[in-house]
Amino acid sequence: MGSRPSLVEVLDVSRAFATPEGEVRALDGVAFDVRAGEFLAIVGPSGCGKSTLTMLIAGLLRPTAGAVRINGRVVDRPQTDLGIVFQNPVLLAWRSALDNVLLQIEMRGLDPRRYREAARQLLGSVGLEGFEHRLPHELSGGMRQRVAICRALIHDPPLLLMDEPFGALDALTRDQMALDIQGLCTRGGKTVLFITHSISEAIFLADRVIVMTPRPGRVDAVVEVALPRPRRLGVREEASFAAYARRVRDRFLAHGVLRDLDGGAGP
Amino acid sequence: MRWRRWGPPLATVAVALLAWEGLVQLRGLPEYLLPPPSGVLTALGSEWRYLAPHALVTLGEILAGFLLSVLVGIPLAMLIVASPLLERAVYPLLVASQSIPKIAIAPLLIFWAGLGIAPKILVAFLIAFFPVVIDTVVGLRSVEPEMLHLARSMGASPVKVFLKIRFPHALPSVFAGLKVAVTLAVVGAIVGEFIQADRGLGYALLQANAMLNTRLSFATILILAAIGTVLFLLVDWMERLLIPWHASRRLEAAAGTL
Repeated sequence: MGSRPSLVEVLDVSRAFATPEGEVRALDGVAFDVRAGEFLAIVGPSGCGKSTLTMLIAGLLRPTAGAVRINGRVVDRPQTDLGIVFQNPVLLAWRSALDNVLLQIEMRGLDPRRYREAARQLLGSVGLEGFEHRLPHELSGGMRQRVAICRALIHDPPLLLMDEPFGALDALTRDQMALDIQGLCTRGGKTVLFITHSISEAIFLADRVIVMTPRPGRVDAVVEVALPRPRRLGVREEASFAAYARRVRDRFLAHGVLRDLDGGAGP
Repeated sequence: MRWRRWGPPLATVAVALLAWEGLVQLRGLPEYLLPPPSGVLTALGSEWRYLAPHALVTLGEILAGFLLSVLVGIPLAMLIVASPLLERAVYPLLVASQSIPKIAIAPLLIFWAGLGIAPKILVAFLIAFFPVVIDTVVGLRSVEPEMLHLARSMGASPVKVFLKIRFPHALPSVFAGLKVAVTLAVVGAIVGEFIQADRGLGYALLQANAMLNTRLSFATILILAAIGTVLFLLVDWMERLLIPWHASRRLEAAAGTL
């Protein structure tokens, strides 16, 4: 896997925000890369600048210092060769599931008629067959987020940015979504940056997990996850999975993000 | 479902009318103080030919004032949202200008705009226009930032973002403004006619009051109320037609099926 070229390079990126209480540093000298075709998860506590990172990579925000490169080119404007999924599905209330997916196509000035069938298939592949013509308020939270994911994939982008996409969903729905995402992304050879605060979600989905420190966010550790694919839900009960989870959790204990019962900071 | 919606207010009106009629008949109140509802209805029937032309004049003023407030208010709101400079230059003044009671400047408007229906339209417009601007601005601003981020990542032009996202998103708020505006336009037209007019329901009302013809006053007010209600329902109907997906509509639909 180490031989894969980098699709995204995050080069010593810092980002500060001005607030009434003074300057807040969200990210401080963050450096990592996302290799082509890899599923990279970033896990960190709330407020560690994970979402800021998504915005910087998408070109929706400029770094205070450092740079982001995609395919070797410095990101200095909003990037269009990618798909984004936020925690909030932000669907248009007056459009059906299908038309929400096709928004991506219309906004790009492409012909939505040519993508209708693809959009239908994509919705079907995440279990939304028969729901194509429902309005968002007629769908459950999980279904809405599936529509948002299809919208991020319909133009077949090489890079998918997901910012806590399961954050607002219940535990069972999260499990199903994790399986769906694995199917969608690993089959299509997509490069995925997946941001979460769930350790087990990160390990279940990712080839590599980047652990962030509390604010200001820095890269604390990188954990390679060598579990075979496709991964079934049961993998989470296996010893190897538990070992990976412990490595990530230990980093959180070391930084005081988590405090165990005896106040210890791990082994 | 219809009965659930219209039944309770109609029942209240019926009870109030009966009580009113009974009070007048039993206490023997003089006509010029409080005519019985039956008397008002009689006046409405007998003075119909006199009142109808006045009603048409006032209706015309209301509609013109309201349409003008929409035609000026919505584009102005769009400009305010599109241009931060314009927003800083205009928006605070607009809000501050609302502390001026429109009724107080109505005589000046008549003075400037002359006789005829133009000054009445102007007063109706000035009163109705503010909620249109404010609610449209609020609506256009209410789009989630994530949606706008997504639109940028889709490489969409600002025009497309406006047409496909911002404007439809603003419609529920715009209609809330239009409902207030159409009601205020009625007030504006009548205020204009009160100050100076030789036609219109406001004029008819002043004439009836001057002659202590209370029956006719009530009949005129009844027509005014009917005009206001019908116009409001018309805007409401358009809202249903244009934004069936809107949340408050859905709640209503859900309540209706209970």
